[in-house]
Amino acid sequence: MTANRKDLPKIDSSELKELTEKLITACHILDHEGVTDGYGHISARVPGAEAFITIANVSPGCVTPDRLIMQDFDGNYLGGAKTPPNEWPIHACILKARPDVESVAHTHSKWSTIFSVLPIKLKPMHHYGKFLSAEGPPVYQGIGLVRTVERGNELAAALGDGPAVLMRAHGDAVVGASIEQVIERTTRLAMLGEWNHLALLHGEPKYLTAEELEVYNADQRFPMRGWEYFVSRLQDQR
Amino acid sequence: MDSINSNGPAFDSSELKELKQKLVDGCHILDREGITDGFGHVSVRIPGAEALLTLAGVSPGCATVDRLVMLDFDGNYLGGVESPPYEWPIHTCIMRVRPDVMSVCHTHSKWSALFSVLRGGLRPVHMYAKFLPAAGPPIYPGSGLIGTVERGEALVGALKDSAAILMRAHGDTVVGASLEQAILRTIQLAFLGELAHMAVAHGEPLYLTADELATFSADQAFPARPWKYYLSRLRERHSP
Repeated sequence: MTANRKDLPKIDSSELKELTEKLITACHILDHEGVTDGYGHISARVPGAEAFITIANVSPGCVTPDRLIMQDFDGNYLGGAKTPPNEWPIHACILKARPDVESVAHTHSKWSTIFSVLPIKLKPMHHYGKFLSAEGPPVYQGIGLVRTVERGNELAAALGDGPAVLMRAHGDAVVGASIEQVIERTTRLAMLGEWNHLALLHGEPKYLTAEELEVYNADQRFPMRGWEYFVSRLQDQR
Repeated sequence: MDSINSNGPAFDSSELKELKQKLVDGCHILDREGITDGFGHVSVRIPGAEALLTLAGVSPGCATVDRLVMLDFDGNYLGGVESPPYEWPIHTCIMRVRPDVMSVCHTHSKWSALFSVLRGGLRPVHMYAKFLPAAGPPIYPGSGLIGTVERGEALVGALKDSAAILMRAHGDTVVGASLEQAILRTIQLAFLGELAHMAVAHGEPLYLTADELATFSADQAFPARPWKYYLSRLRERHSP
């Protein structure tokens, strides 16, 4: 199946300019915050279409406007640079299964990796974890790169309707209703992993319960402040 | 064995210009990524010759194309600055018996040093370990700097056909079919050490098995992307 929008915008169209610029900024943020290394990718759904834009086999920290690619959910090429990331099915299969998801990040975060191979779970012990369940994210047990639709569907099934999934001996995949939300969640998942690790060295932490997470979720949000902050850190660097 | 270094290019030849710059870049990358300190060295084989280029007794982070030395596999000086690294036999002894090896990195990585003195081995908890065996890299038990050919040969005897070896109370040596691969493996070995250190603090991790490592190895090889990425981090650091 190809894109279901008859007027599918081109990857370099003015309609997608803001989205692609935001996607590039998001990649640079994950690099600058130390979450991605030479690998990893972020995608954004083309609004209203069964298609997405991601980075064309380039390190997130090195991505530029001419290193983006548009694909449909079967992996067919729809524009931009012609080298999809090896693991494009991560994005295609999750976006297909989850209409609520507008953006997906995949990283080799060291914090997600260590909790992916441990019997203990990465659970919320700070309110930054309020987007997670009290039990923490599930772990996708599959081995091998997610280079096939079959593996992508397995990953999407492990993710379920959650915000994040750890990938055993590999990293994580995080989803959100916007690119900004995905960046917030991905950076916070890494922070939570580090803090879980530190806390566990001292004994069993007092994790937040489901009810306590609900209290935080009911509080007023601080919209977009985190995004503005991360962007400002990139600008400091430049 | 007769040396064939006379067939190789001269130290100052334009043919080696690109290789020298790559060697210096590789050294700066290991420094930028926090793996080397004031010590450590990287070597690269001179294509078609029994000779190599390495650092002339200078910290990797301070290397320049004017601070390199060319040696044959007996350690004879062939050009450049006349101060080879003290542990030149690490490089010559490995390259002599491993024709598949084009580049060798030796570091005092804290993560390799840590696992070199522990009994469990640095076992893989991330797919980056696909260049390692499931038991982790072998450990060279010898003491003392590798300042003699005898010790260099003992190191090679422990390395065998592996991609990396930990050196007890010392650091590591990592080899590759290209300079880029040796540098990337060195970075990934440090990453694996850090992850294993953190994970084992919480109990027994679910290590990757030999079969699982083979599954990752069978997947399409990653492109030379990380080399460009790490170079970009060097430029970032030195830009105003």
